[in-house]
Amino acid sequence: MTVSRAPGDSVTPATRPSGRWRTLAWQVIGLLVIVAVWWLVTDVLKLYPPYVFPSPHAVWTEVAYGLWGTGPQDGKLLSAIGGSLRRVLIGYAAAVALGGVVGLIMGAWPPVRTSLGAYLTGVQSVPSIAFVPFAILFLGLNERAVLFVVILEGFIPVALAVSGALLTVPPALRIAGRTLGAHGPMLTWRVLLPAAVPNVLTGLRTAWSFAWRALVGGELLIAGSKSLGEQLEVGRNTANVALVLATIIIIGVIGGLFDLLLRTVEARVRRDYGLEVAQ
Amino acid sequence: MPHASAQPATTVRLGFFPNLTHAPALIGLERGTFQKALGSVKLDAKQFVSGTTLTEAFAAGQIDIAYVGPGPAISAATRGMPVQFLAGASEAGAVLVARKDSGIRSYKDLAGKTVAVPSLGNTQDISLRHILKEQGLKSRNDGGDVTIVPIPPADTLAAFVGKRADATLVPEPWGAVLEAQGHRVIGSEKTVWRGGQYPTTIVIVNAKFADANPGLVTAFLKAHTEAVAFLTKNPAAAQTAVNAQLEKLTGEKIDLRVLQRAFARTRFTTTLDLDALKEYAALNVEAGYARNTPDLASFVRK
Repeated sequence: MTVSRAPGDSVTPATRPSGRWRTLAWQVIGLLVIVAVWWLVTDVLKLYPPYVFPSPHAVWTEVAYGLWGTGPQDGKLLSAIGGSLRRVLIGYAAAVALGGVVGLIMGAWPPVRTSLGAYLTGVQSVPSIAFVPFAILFLGLNERAVLFVVILEGFIPVALAVSGALLTVPPALRIAGRTLGAHGPMLTWRVLLPAAVPNVLTGLRTAWSFAWRALVGGELLIAGSKSLGEQLEVGRNTANVALVLATIIIIGVIGGLFDLLLRTVEARVRRDYGLEVAQ
Repeated sequence: MPHASAQPATTVRLGFFPNLTHAPALIGLERGTFQKALGSVKLDAKQFVSGTTLTEAFAAGQIDIAYVGPGPAISAATRGMPVQFLAGASEAGAVLVARKDSGIRSYKDLAGKTVAVPSLGNTQDISLRHILKEQGLKSRNDGGDVTIVPIPPADTLAAFVGKRADATLVPEPWGAVLEAQGHRVIGSEKTVWRGGQYPTTIVIVNAKFADANPGLVTAFLKAHTEAVAFLTKNPAAAQTAVNAQLEKLTGEKIDLRVLQRAFARTRFTTTLDLDALKEYAALNVEAGYARNTPDLASFVRK
């Protein structure tokens, strides 16, 4: 059996084409204002020396060299993005798998949830950067240490979301499932888990932002291979603030784009599940 | 003591590292040479662990005069910081040490290994990338298989014990200290670059400070020259003084025989080797840390 879905109202105000264009327009205006103020403070008023706060143009030059420059030393940001994305996707996939399993176990056995859940929440409150020194000593000054931190940060929100979602499935669904003959693992797998999908997706989104932040923090301290963290460190070490800002912007854009992707999936699922109500 | 400038400084803030390659600073502090030369103006000496943090302090206007490697100095000047090169301080004094059980016996063996440098973009990092290039090797971020990791020299002992690095290019006395632990020097100060004819530490000054306090800069230079003369004329006494200052700064005394070995691999000078600095700047570009070589002569304080 599949879980019953409320008939979806597929067009809500937020997703109407005109509303979407208006949102985009405001976002472009916001960006223009930010760049204008930045340009005013640096190039026009010259409030700070360029080695402390570079102009938008200087940062753009670093972005251009780093992403599509063709010189022998250009394209470093592009290869750094490749390295970081590869690392975070591996770590995130492992975190989702591990978190899913742990979450299912916690959801199935209340004692595990009570005991483990509290500690996971505790671990989650520790900033990822705090685990880096331990990871370095435990695993060495290498990529495994970065992955360790990414997985550690990423799996907890998934585990908590999965176990929490299983817990908050409406009792009616549980009862209906039982009545129709689903018991034990089958009830969890065929009834509860599908019903929990929207909440799990929220967990996946939190896990992504945790994993991405943990990755950059770890890379910053465990330099040595192509990574955005290393670009930050190189920029710092060569007094190249423009490169530091360019890297920060790229980190933000990638993090935001991936979040947008997950948010879109989440919105669609919530709509399909009938959780979005037109106002 | 009257000052010629409009804004006379009451304090000279000096930056340096607790390394043998910064020995003129250590001697000047230990023997009171700087303070004597500055008279009533107070000397505020701050130690740093890397050129990065020192450059940041310089950018923030927290340092007036500093002993620093050519790498960070050239980077800072290129980025438009008010940096001027004042004098030379030490030459050579950097060695490539391989961990005893790493199996590395020559530069060629660095392929596939992890090599530590004090910090990315610093003087030793630039030298290392040049060595790798001459061997036909590349770092990982250049598409090769040599991993270059930043580890402060004082931490390399622990890093070797934990096998976190297979080799390191470090300034003295750390090379000699590692050697005393049984690790192997595979690149001497002479094979690192230019037959040993390269600056490892130079003295830089904040241009604004120098313009406002020409008298203090002259006084400091005189003290620096005295410290360098003491290092070259009385090596034995200088080693004791350097060791005493290192112990005050780091809490650890170095075996005198180890320090002697490190001394033998370092030369002290007041001369600024502009040709070598220009080559450094070119290596900086080659390593991808800068896009163009600046006119270094314009950064030298006349």
